[in-house]
Amino acid sequence: MKQYIARRVGYSLLSLFLLSVTIFLFVRVTGDPVSLLVEPGASPEDIENIRRQLGLDQPLWEQYWHFMASLFAGDLGQSFYYRVPVLDLYFQRLPHSLLLAAVAMALSLLIGIPSGILAAVRVDGFWDSAGKIFALLGLSLPQFWVGLVLILFFSVYLGWLPSSGSGGVLHLLMPAFTLGWYFAAAHMRLTRSSMLEVLGSEYIKLARLKGLPEALVIGKHALKNALIPVITLAGINLVVMINVAVVVETVFAWPGIGRLLYEGITFRDFPVVQGVVIIGGAMIVMVNLLVDILYALIDPRIRLES
Amino acid sequence: MVSLSTTRRGVLGLSTAAMIGATLRATDAAPEGELRVGVHVSLAPTWFDPAETPGIITPFMLLYAMHDAVIKAMPGDPMAPCLAESCTMSPEGLSYALSLRKGVKFHNGEELTAEDVKFSLERYRGAASKSLRDRVANVDIHDPHRLTIRLKEPWPDFLTFYAGASGAGWIVPKKYVEQVGDEGFKKAPIGAGPYRFVSFTPGVELVCEAFDGYWRKKPAIKRLVFKVIPDESTRLAALQRNEIDIAYSIRGELADELLRTPGLAIKPALGSAPYWLYFPEQWDPQSPWHDRRVRQAASFALDRKTMNEALTLGHSRLTGSIFPENFEFYWALPPPAYDPARARKLLAEAGHARGFDAGDYYCDTSYANIGEVALNNLREVGIRVKLRPLERAAFFKAYSEKKLKNIVQGASGAFGNCATRAEAFVAKGGTYVYGSYPDIDELFAEQAVEMDRAKRAATLQRLQQLVHDKAIYAPIWQLAFISGVGPRVDQSGFGLIKGFVYTAPYEDLTLKGKA
Amino acid sequence: MAVITPVTTDTVASTAPFWRLKGFPVIPVSILLLIAFVAVFADVLAPHDPQIGSLARRFKPPFWLEGGSLVYPLGTDHVGRDVLSRLIFGARVSMVVGITAVLVAGSIGTLLGIMSGYLGGWADQVVMRITDTWLALPALTFAIFLAAIVGPSELNIILILGLVYWTRYARVIRGEVLSLKQREFVRLAVVAGCSSRLIMWRHILPNVINSAIVLATLMLGVVIVTEASLSFLGVGVPPPKPAWGLMMADGKKGLMVGYWWLTVFPGICIMLMVLSANLLGDWLRVKLDPQLRQL
Repeated sequence: MKQYIARRVGYSLLSLFLLSVTIFLFVRVTGDPVSLLVEPGASPEDIENIRRQLGLDQPLWEQYWHFMASLFAGDLGQSFYYRVPVLDLYFQRLPHSLLLAAVAMALSLLIGIPSGILAAVRVDGFWDSAGKIFALLGLSLPQFWVGLVLILFFSVYLGWLPSSGSGGVLHLLMPAFTLGWYFAAAHMRLTRSSMLEVLGSEYIKLARLKGLPEALVIGKHALKNALIPVITLAGINLVVMINVAVVVETVFAWPGIGRLLYEGITFRDFPVVQGVVIIGGAMIVMVNLLVDILYALIDPRIRLES
Repeated sequence: MVSLSTTRRGVLGLSTAAMIGATLRATDAAPEGELRVGVHVSLAPTWFDPAETPGIITPFMLLYAMHDAVIKAMPGDPMAPCLAESCTMSPEGLSYALSLRKGVKFHNGEELTAEDVKFSLERYRGAASKSLRDRVANVDIHDPHRLTIRLKEPWPDFLTFYAGASGAGWIVPKKYVEQVGDEGFKKAPIGAGPYRFVSFTPGVELVCEAFDGYWRKKPAIKRLVFKVIPDESTRLAALQRNEIDIAYSIRGELADELLRTPGLAIKPALGSAPYWLYFPEQWDPQSPWHDRRVRQAASFALDRKTMNEALTLGHSRLTGSIFPENFEFYWALPPPAYDPARARKLLAEAGHARGFDAGDYYCDTSYANIGEVALNNLREVGIRVKLRPLERAAFFKAYSEKKLKNIVQGASGAFGNCATRAEAFVAKGGTYVYGSYPDIDELFAEQAVEMDRAKRAATLQRLQQLVHDKAIYAPIWQLAFISGVGPRVDQSGFGLIKGFVYTAPYEDLTLKGKA
Repeated sequence: MAVITPVTTDTVASTAPFWRLKGFPVIPVSILLLIAFVAVFADVLAPHDPQIGSLARRFKPPFWLEGGSLVYPLGTDHVGRDVLSRLIFGARVSMVVGITAVLVAGSIGTLLGIMSGYLGGWADQVVMRITDTWLALPALTFAIFLAAIVGPSELNIILILGLVYWTRYARVIRGEVLSLKQREFVRLAVVAGCSSRLIMWRHILPNVINSAIVLATLMLGVVIVTEASLSFLGVGVPPPKPAWGLMMADGKKGLMVGYWWLTVFPGICIMLMVLSANLLGDWLRVKLDPQLRQL
């Protein structure tokens, strides 16, 4: 077992290392940050000056060495654009991202689970179709458009909600809905199929035979079991949400990680891109590692096999 | 994209004078109210520190609020003495004597002295810092309010750089900076400007509050809030809802909406970045672009006026030059004509009576809207091109690495004068130069060593004339930067300072009914 | 309570022609066919050149509104191009981009998924670690990078979307293969001395192809909407090419000004296409593979 864990940790570290090299090279071949920090046509000496300040005048391997060395010291470097430590930037944005993702997830489940249950209980009925189509609509409309329509209606026309920014609960509603609606279809679909499966199982049949009221059968016995895979998926999607929120964050001026990364890329802010991607990578690799180890502990066959 | 150029010192216009008088009325009243500005870019803490001013205009948006300069561009005067009462150049041009205004205080209550001015110049590490360091010999302090900046050799452009195109003349408190360090300064900047720093939330907002002790006058508005709103449709919505009072950069049809919404006003400001089409293959005899008539035809094909009306409501300035009109040594020429018939004729003469497939048209994605229109214009006369918008960073990388072909849509708002512009875009070896002409190179070399200003001007103007005659470029316009202003604002501050696209000076801004 | 699983995978095969099957989604399939028809005959159907416009006639409303005319039935856009013609040609671009991107993603994902699942060990580790790290590079991030490296063009967008989404395939297919591996027929093939390559090609692939098809219908929607998001972020299909996503991104400013037709019409098209593909996918999933859930 120890050996398995050791090997598994080794693989994880290796993939993180590969990720760091990939992102390090990737971000460098696609553009020159200095050309974006000055106006085109700036004097060569100014360009040289900035290059030196950013440490871009050193050879590539030296830059990489420096990057790795400080990474091990827990330092992700300084943003080229903001000129403050990347870690500071990251942790300033993280709470906003988590908050947005959490509320979006809640809304998404609020749409997805009930419509999924309805769809499962009334297969091919009106509610099935209506719920399915509402959930699918969120998936099929570009988020930037949904966001703007919401702003137009709720902010400009009705004047109920603030158009953008962060602060109170009201600021959160539109971005969270836009993001959550996009994910609702996946949760609906999974709830529906998982529910159908549970409803077909022996113990539900037994419960029905015992003459329990249908509402109780569905609401208590079936739902409890059907929701397990949905919650698992929601957990994964929560991580995914933090990353895909860039469009919503841009439309609603929400200060999250997605936009930090997006702006990092547009400005070729190497330390920001490297930092955000590596922290994200570390999180995902860590979660996978934990899951694998847990499975291995539960099911000895897995570790024998590999 | 401002030019804080020194060359053509404007005469203080009557209207400007009257307006300054009007705003000065409010001096006695205590500042009140809040002005919220919707900003189109993410605010970076590095902009709180004048020492790090890069060669772009955006940081000046904040410098004008939190800091003050020895000499800076002000309404009616691109070189207005501010912290300095006077600045005199010695006859041989080797030193500049500054006499500072007395009783000027930083936000922490300490008095601004010659020590701070010297410290700020020596600490400066932003754009043009090398030029300054190489040429400034020493700063002599005579007493707390008098100092002399001595140069190693005469440098006629010194003030252009010290007071305009850099942050070296913007003063930070020496004692405070030494106490908190560079990092600490960015977290809690202290300056001598009309507004003091209150709080900054990265990616969200910057809050400033009026500094009662500002030497020029007490600001009329109590609080300034800069809110970051990256999407321009959202900025407009926020303005319509009065969540913000000023929205920067509202383009195209969104600007139409500003005109249509009661209470909102449109504030165009002319930046100093010319846009152009460049023909990188003109030095290749095999290319159709080698023929000057083809390049001229492309220029005649562009319906700049209609483009201007559609994209910037007619507020951009059509130009036939890649040199901004407010640059030193600028050679004025009439805006280019729109003449598709003549374009077709020129093409026919060049052997393309039925038009030709001209390949790709490269541009920066953010300005693909210009490209889309130009594409139709070119097609109408028979120049068939394919639009290839590249993401900004990739575009400039490819442009400077000389990888682009056929047509390149470029622009530059870099500081400098006509010589520096020619160096980057026309003369042999320039960053964005794909080829050059011997006569132009000769003129360029000639002016670089010419000490006599008048002769140098003549050479540079001849150079510009050649650039035009050879149709190296097909210039389009100097782009207008359009912003929206909400109903609460009385004096918005747009257009007060020539060539500056943001609102300033902040102490002159007023809200309605609060005077 | 164990759920009884069918012994063979042949529950999939049915003798009846598919359109006679119960619950066959007639409307979604008709819509998809209609879009395909429009895409193929775009040149004949479109009244104007979709890429040419004139500023003189920009922002003309649809014909039933004041100022509109039947010459431009659905109005004109910000450059004065005919919206209807752009929608018609947009069907082609969106179909081509959507389908080929899904094919690219599907081929890479299925291939690597099978290899990873069947060969296990070293190959499995490599593929799974790549899919891990892929997740860390959010789809849009990766797309922006690729767009910066290879430049924008229809072909590149296909490549980008394909490369971004193959990992979803790989994960699902790998899972399928892991369970197939335990089945009798695969074990028998191994005993009979078939090579790994042959087993993967002959025995595994035909059994996962159903899942791949179902996944494809669901991915089509994701790909089309992502294409729109890429345009919004400035790295999508390059203008003036007519693509629905690009039309929406371009027209979004018009939304604030009341030029609703610029985004509503392409929005409806995208919505119909994505909805139809998804409904078809749902049906296929039930028919082809009741096991497949986590899509």
